[in-house]
Amino acid sequence: MNKLVLVAAAFAALTFGAQAAAVKIGTEGAYPPYNFVDDNGKVGGYDIEVGNEICKRAQLECTWVVNEWDTIIPNLLAGNYDGIMADMSITDERKQTINFTDPYFPPDPSTYVSLATKKVDYTALKGLKIGAQTATIQSSYLAANLKADNTILTYDTQDQELADLNAGNIDLVFLDGSVVNEVVSGSSGKLKADGPGILIGDGVGVGMRKGDTDLTAKFNAALASMKADGTLDALIAKDFPDEKGGPFYKK
Amino acid sequence: MLVDWLPQGLKDALGPDIVFWLGYFTNGKHLGWYASVQYTLEAMVLGAAVALVLGLVAAAIRNSGPLPLRWLAAGYINVVRGVPDVLFFLFFPIAFEQGLEWILSTQVCTPATLALNTGQWPPCDAANISFTKDQYLILAGVSLGIVYGAFVANVIAGALRAVPAGQLEAARAYGMSRMQVLVRIHIRQMWVYALPGLSNVWMSIIKATSLLSLLQIMDFVTWAQRLGASNFSKAAGLVHDDWRWRYYLVLLIFYIVVTYISEKVFNVLGARVKRGMALAEQNLT
Amino acid sequence: MNPLAPLFHDIEVMAWPAVINVYFAAAAIPIGFVFAIAFALGKNSSNLLINRLSRGYIYFFRGSPFFIQLFAFYSLVLAFNISTWKPLGLDWFVLHPLFLGPAILGLNTTAYTAEIFYGALLTVPKGEIEAARAYGMTRRQRFWSVTWPHLIRLAWPAYTNEVVFLFQATALVYFTLPVVGDQRDLMNTAEVLFQKDYNVFLHFGVAALYFLVISLAIFYLFSLIYKRLMRHMPQAATMKFNLRRVFG
Repeated sequence: MNKLVLVAAAFAALTFGAQAAAVKIGTEGAYPPYNFVDDNGKVGGYDIEVGNEICKRAQLECTWVVNEWDTIIPNLLAGNYDGIMADMSITDERKQTINFTDPYFPPDPSTYVSLATKKVDYTALKGLKIGAQTATIQSSYLAANLKADNTILTYDTQDQELADLNAGNIDLVFLDGSVVNEVVSGSSGKLKADGPGILIGDGVGVGMRKGDTDLTAKFNAALASMKADGTLDALIAKDFPDEKGGPFYKK
Repeated sequence: MLVDWLPQGLKDALGPDIVFWLGYFTNGKHLGWYASVQYTLEAMVLGAAVALVLGLVAAAIRNSGPLPLRWLAAGYINVVRGVPDVLFFLFFPIAFEQGLEWILSTQVCTPATLALNTGQWPPCDAANISFTKDQYLILAGVSLGIVYGAFVANVIAGALRAVPAGQLEAARAYGMSRMQVLVRIHIRQMWVYALPGLSNVWMSIIKATSLLSLLQIMDFVTWAQRLGASNFSKAAGLVHDDWRWRYYLVLLIFYIVVTYISEKVFNVLGARVKRGMALAEQNLT
Repeated sequence: MNPLAPLFHDIEVMAWPAVINVYFAAAAIPIGFVFAIAFALGKNSSNLLINRLSRGYIYFFRGSPFFIQLFAFYSLVLAFNISTWKPLGLDWFVLHPLFLGPAILGLNTTAYTAEIFYGALLTVPKGEIEAARAYGMTRRQRFWSVTWPHLIRLAWPAYTNEVVFLFQATALVYFTLPVVGDQRDLMNTAEVLFQKDYNVFLHFGVAALYFLVISLAIFYLFSLIYKRLMRHMPQAATMKFNLRRVFG
């Protein structure tokens, strides 16, 4: 009889634990439209909306932690939060230190933004000042391919490189295509993006510590259900109105 | 937000522009900015307290302690003064966390869990420590204190040397023990000589708190950067160009105001400490 | 030498970035030195406008953090890019960190050095200046023959401290200005290396070692200059750079 009570209590404790499991997700908060801190001081954006939906479906209590981009992976490994949702592309180099869930955004070729008045010959980029954010796939690509003939500038945040572009200090900014679309449409004609799309990386996934296979599986399951019933497509259409080619996931 | 509480008559009188800007400068993001001043002030005070304690101890040991401790104190002072405070702020919290995790891992890690995490840190998942925001702020304050403790030690060492030897000899002649002389006479009389140097160190600590943003603390500086950043996305808030230099100007004025207030406070402190002391007037303010 | 190999590799990798830090300091020192004399004299001047302006400048740059000054001046200069620098064809120069870094460092060190020079200026023996006036020396002659020698000898130890602080402040430049190409300084390189393997002790330790060694070198160099400055004084008042001063 006592044993039964103990087992029941343990079971109850386990299920209670499962329902109240607290998960912290880290984001940059300075990369619209994926993640930003809005004028009410709350985090918002595509990453946050997808993350909240995943947590709802996986029955997890998620809180968001804002962390600067260049220490976002070390702080994940240090345990300050349990996942990274900050438009982080899946690359082999990052896979050496962290794991990723399945991608939650379709393949997104990176492209160049420039002032609308600037003429650029994209087949022969020479003598230009090109900007990218530090420790991103774009800065690695630029360093590997265009460093010889151009000056590459690296910035800490997306808004700094766009400010430099708008002030005419640099000629091009190399960014994710989905972001470029929104930047150009939000610039009221001041900026343009007529360069080629260059596919780098294997899509955008949620970064997880290597040992957290349980959490990764829960996130993947929730993502799969969001893809199947069209929720993810609806969020993409809402946050990226200029993204062409949808719906991406619902068959 | 604040604007919602204004009566309609007042809003009409001020006009739509002013009401808009009032609303903008009191929206959630700006209120978060104003509130984050507390982190800067907390780090300042904690840093100063830790610096004072460490400086006193190091100065006392450096002049009259067992030899290995003297080397330790001298080493601490000279190394910390030769390394930029930025480097120390970036280094200390991470190193401290890793150190704690290493100690913890010797206690809780079994060979099985150790094997799971080979080549990575922490050695096993159970040894993972994660700090809350407040704990991290305390850690930042302690880093500040350790760096500026070296400066305080130098100031106090100089001030200890400046106390007239006659006073110490008189105390010994009265039969006080070494410890009594140190605590009752030497340290008490030292403050008037230490105060100018200590006020300089306090000014440096004020300015060093601007580096808190590098430690992932959403402090006064971080919020200002995010507020000033140009924004193109309506969903993210007001669409505006690069307003950064305006926000940075506010930050500069904030720090100058804090410096000004500190100067006045130290002047008052100095006047109080000098009561009844027979001192030559020059070079002590 | 297997366990020490990463250490030597780091030392080698950080050698060129260390030069960049030294360049920032070396470029800012002359600017600071020259303008500080002007501001110190200005603070001591009887002309009310010059006096207030000098005091204001010194107060502003000493009272605010250098870190914020870097951010503020970069975004201020950037704001004038389209209206001023581009038409003059100067934008590639003015906005480049290798110019802007020393420029803002120079503004900052001018204020601190001016305060040090001003303090020394106040303690120049008035009797000597009066004697020079009695001899009929012009203002210029008075300054260079009487005031200046006293000033520089009195101020030198404090100035040495300021130069060491200046060198350590160069660590902040690339936290605020964009990194152009591969021109990284010590802190930036340490961070980039840290991102790869999260070994905080090795990378930041080697950077700290560079800063420590170069700070000691600056201190030694300036103490040699002090010895030469004081070579005619009766008591060989050196800044006593010896191991005892350094290691207690």
